[in-house]
Amino acid sequence: MLSIEGFQSAFKYIQLFKEGLVCTVSLSAFTVILGFVLALVLALMRMADLRPFRFLDNTQGGEGRTGFIGFLSRFRPLNLIASVYIEVFRATPLMVQLFIIYYVLLAGLDLPTFKLFGLIRFERFIPGVIALSLNSAAYLSEIIRSGIQSIDGGQTEAARSLGMTQTQNMRYIVLPQAIKNILPAIANEFVTIIKESAICWTIGVQEIMSAVNSVKAATFTIGEALIIAACIYFCLTFPTSKIIEYFERKMSRGDKR
Amino acid sequence: MATSDKLIQVKNLKKYYNKGTLHALDDVTVDVNKGDVMVVIGPSGSGKSTLLRSLNLLEIPTDGEILFHNIDITKKKFVNKHGKVEKVDINLHRQKMGMVFQHFNLFPHKTILDNMILAPMKVLGVSKTEATEKAMALLKRVGLEDRAGAFPIQLSGGQKQRIAIVRALMMEPEVMLFDEPTSALDPEMVGEVLEVMKELALGGMTMVVVTHEMGFAREVGNRVLFMADGKLVEEGTPEEIFDHPKHPRLQDFLAKVL
Repeated sequence: MLSIEGFQSAFKYIQLFKEGLVCTVSLSAFTVILGFVLALVLALMRMADLRPFRFLDNTQGGEGRTGFIGFLSRFRPLNLIASVYIEVFRATPLMVQLFIIYYVLLAGLDLPTFKLFGLIRFERFIPGVIALSLNSAAYLSEIIRSGIQSIDGGQTEAARSLGMTQTQNMRYIVLPQAIKNILPAIANEFVTIIKESAICWTIGVQEIMSAVNSVKAATFTIGEALIIAACIYFCLTFPTSKIIEYFERKMSRGDKR
Repeated sequence: MATSDKLIQVKNLKKYYNKGTLHALDDVTVDVNKGDVMVVIGPSGSGKSTLLRSLNLLEIPTDGEILFHNIDITKKKFVNKHGKVEKVDINLHRQKMGMVFQHFNLFPHKTILDNMILAPMKVLGVSKTEATEKAMALLKRVGLEDRAGAFPIQLSGGQKQRIAIVRALMMEPEVMLFDEPTSALDPEMVGEVLEVMKELALGGMTMVVVTHEMGFAREVGNRVLFMADGKLVEEGTPEEIFDHPKHPRLQDFLAKVL
């Protein structure tokens, strides 16, 4: 049961929660940035029309051949790599991915063992950031792709007919409109990242959930610490979605009559 | 006419869809001379839009040549006048071909002014002050200088299309391509757009116009092409096409639209 005394004793460990908060925020921030960049690359890869064996089919603009040659001529390696990546990372649990990265892939590496901001153990923090980023990139890339594909093709045609390159078209015309459309979904994903960063406790990253565990070990009660943790998480996620809502409003200036 | 007057030469242009079963363009050969106002008419599905969109490679032709300033822009490389092989930069050619679309395609997230100055600034490297000055002068020309700060959604269809025209003019193109510029407009707004186009034509701009506005074709055009089933069926002056049509397909078409 929860009790006032329980909260009082849990509050004695407030320093642990503060450090956990810094760690959770850092985990989420690094993940959001890394994940977003990776997601953008994946989304562009999935839409790329790079066909290295196109030359095998010189009939009717490259769509005439059937059979194996036809298949090979339409083969898009970038699309395949991105698709396989997305399916694998969406189809396996985040905890399994985290453990494979921490205990298998990075186990042999001697990661530098300094403390980030004087309190975060870098050699555990980095596997956490990598796992969270790789995982969220799979989801974010599908969101970004849907956003890009929701933009009318006439926008690209207008941009290209004005002499803009494909990159300029993406940067100034398509992406600003696409990101505006997908901001609610992005907000969801960013909030999910903050909440799911709790899983990094299992590889010994000292974030908020690890503070809960320390309090449990010291006071033999857990309920009060969990309530405190929940409040801290809420104080992180709620402003996040509100801030993104603000940007959404700001970017929607062109929608109002 | 001398070769130097030929701005665009289209030779045996073909565009096939559906693995070659659908011929959107079937062996079209035509020249656009400097100063021409060439109007392309024909029933829907006749390939007129495909022809126009091929001119700046928004459609990639299946076969044939498009020479712009004597450079075949459908190929990857060309030989310059010093005999050296150079890459064909399609972005460079598109800058010189302004395009106006049926559905305007203004950028909805940018103001009218930003719509106009973006490409000159990013593509040509014009300064913001200079681009803005030019944009305001053009807006004044089409009577929309008070809408510079508005967003496209706040404009009527006719206003949007006038903005689309001046946005293309910001790049100082050598030829303007119009893809059914009045087809998506309410009838009462067609006139204001045609008026701007007429002014452009009188100013000597080379224009290729795909349209269903026969009055415009007759009054402003100096050449009229009639297309059907992906083929160029008949070509002539407005008088020849509208008053003395020879081909039965054209006679049939005119009987329906006039």
